[in-house]
Amino acid sequence: MTHIDQVPTPGAPLPVEIGVTPGAKRTNPFAQVFDELVRFAQSRSLFMLHYCTGCGAVELPPAMTARFDMERLGIQPMVSPRQADILLITGYVSVKTLKRVILTYEQMNSPKYVIGICSCTVNGGMYWQSYATAKKLNDYMPVDIYIAGCMPRPEAVIEGLRGLIENIRNGRADAWKDYYRRYDHYLGNQQRLFGADWQTPTDVIAEARHYDLFGPATLGAHTALLEQHQRPLEALAMRIEIPELMRRRSRADQGGTAQ
Amino acid sequence: MDWLSAVNLDGLAAVDFRWLGLVLELILMPLIAFVVGLGLVLMLRKIAARLQRRVGPPLSQPLWDIIKLHAKETQTSHGLIHEIGIVMAIGGYVAAVTLLPVPGMNGLAQQGGLIALLYMTMIPSLGLALGVGQCANPNGSIGISRALTAMLAYDVPLVIVIFGVAFHFGSLNLVHMIAAQQAGGIASWGIVQMPLLALAGLFALQGMLGKQPFEIYVAPAEIATGPMVEMGGKFLGGLFVMQCFQLYTAGVLYVTLFLGGGEHWLTFLFKVFVVTAIPMTIAMVFPRYRTEDMVRLFWKWPTMIGLLGIAFVMN
Repeated sequence: MTHIDQVPTPGAPLPVEIGVTPGAKRTNPFAQVFDELVRFAQSRSLFMLHYCTGCGAVELPPAMTARFDMERLGIQPMVSPRQADILLITGYVSVKTLKRVILTYEQMNSPKYVIGICSCTVNGGMYWQSYATAKKLNDYMPVDIYIAGCMPRPEAVIEGLRGLIENIRNGRADAWKDYYRRYDHYLGNQQRLFGADWQTPTDVIAEARHYDLFGPATLGAHTALLEQHQRPLEALAMRIEIPELMRRRSRADQGGTAQ
Repeated sequence: MDWLSAVNLDGLAAVDFRWLGLVLELILMPLIAFVVGLGLVLMLRKIAARLQRRVGPPLSQPLWDIIKLHAKETQTSHGLIHEIGIVMAIGGYVAAVTLLPVPGMNGLAQQGGLIALLYMTMIPSLGLALGVGQCANPNGSIGISRALTAMLAYDVPLVIVIFGVAFHFGSLNLVHMIAAQQAGGIASWGIVQMPLLALAGLFALQGMLGKQPFEIYVAPAEIATGPMVEMGGKFLGGLFVMQCFQLYTAGVLYVTLFLGGGEHWLTFLFKVFVVTAIPMTIAMVFPRYRTEDMVRLFWKWPTMIGLLGIAFVMN
């Protein structure tokens, strides 16, 4: 697990998957028109799941309501990860919160986009020295856009969302594929924080296989570790445990035997 | 070439080609319903935005939403029934739309009638219940049980209204009702003849569309949109399509029963949009009732108003 701790040298180009050009066009002209239409629709309709962990959440109501009105851009809030396109992380993520964020992220349907708002998601911000805060969000999941600031004003939030819309139009917002192609890297970082027996309900490797998003770095040392600890998911037992109800029932049972 | 001369071409004129027209109507009616439904959804979102002093979504927003949802690259299905449930939800309304006469097209309205239409509008809720059941999400189960309870609540006044209207016109045939209302002018419209039933019908419409005081089964902040909680991608897209049909069906049914149907498309669509705007405008100034409060309210006020209306109609 030594190579995870490597710090990238400043200014060095980010690793790009060979053979995958962003925004690659298909040869069939009809397919190109279709892709263009789909990309346009995807950029004009964004459902947003805001995971409000920190103080940045304060800036979202003004961005959504009468003053700045995000719905002009086709952005509207949604309440469940299955329905959402954007996962908005507004503020610091503690180790405990990060587990929930990852579960939420894995439940979303692709294409999905992650936006980190506030300095805390970029580098830990004012919680840099905290033992319980995850510093860089993009160590644990691919982030499409960071909106820095402490906190960024609604104008900045909307400017960031406009940037995301532009990226989707150009076919460059495909960071979500990175999670499947380099799952080993992200899983390694997650294991470093949560321990070796970390497991999520979503089987990312099977999904990568099914949707043809398998990359050379999907499997590795960390996924091998996952396979050692992995327990198959089981349906939860159906039982009702309401203390009030149980007490009443046991009382009724006793009454029944006394008679 | 003997066989050619043997063919009797005169007989061709006698062959009935009316079925071709019917097939065309059965294809056209759901398509029109979908397009008008997109407009209705847009209007609802615009009304909500304007009442909150916002600009609101651009004109083609409902269409982009549906395209985007169907273009999702990974789809989370929970099994066969999950998918069939959505098909039932849309299919029920598609069937209902072919039973609703619109200007120039009767579809199956002559053969179907009001009772068949009522049956068809209940299929989507049941389909949704099946689909949500397989998702095994507790929020979804709570949501769908509330949706069916809501159906039980608003169906009592709705059935009373339908009975009263059918009694007034002496027919269950929607085509006859429209003809009777259009022959006598505004004075013979259902809303003039039976104002109490029209009021009870408006109550039932609010419940049928699940708008705010009776929004118990969506409840985004409480049970995370209830039945829709596990629906993503094409499933949610299917439900968005269903919403278009639902608004259209409810609006057209009310216009047919009380506002004299439509002489031509312009007045017809105007009436449908006005009728559908009423529940949304009411919705934006109300919070949400609890389930038992909704049932109590529906079985008390609209039911009483409806029964009083029937008493006047039968007089």
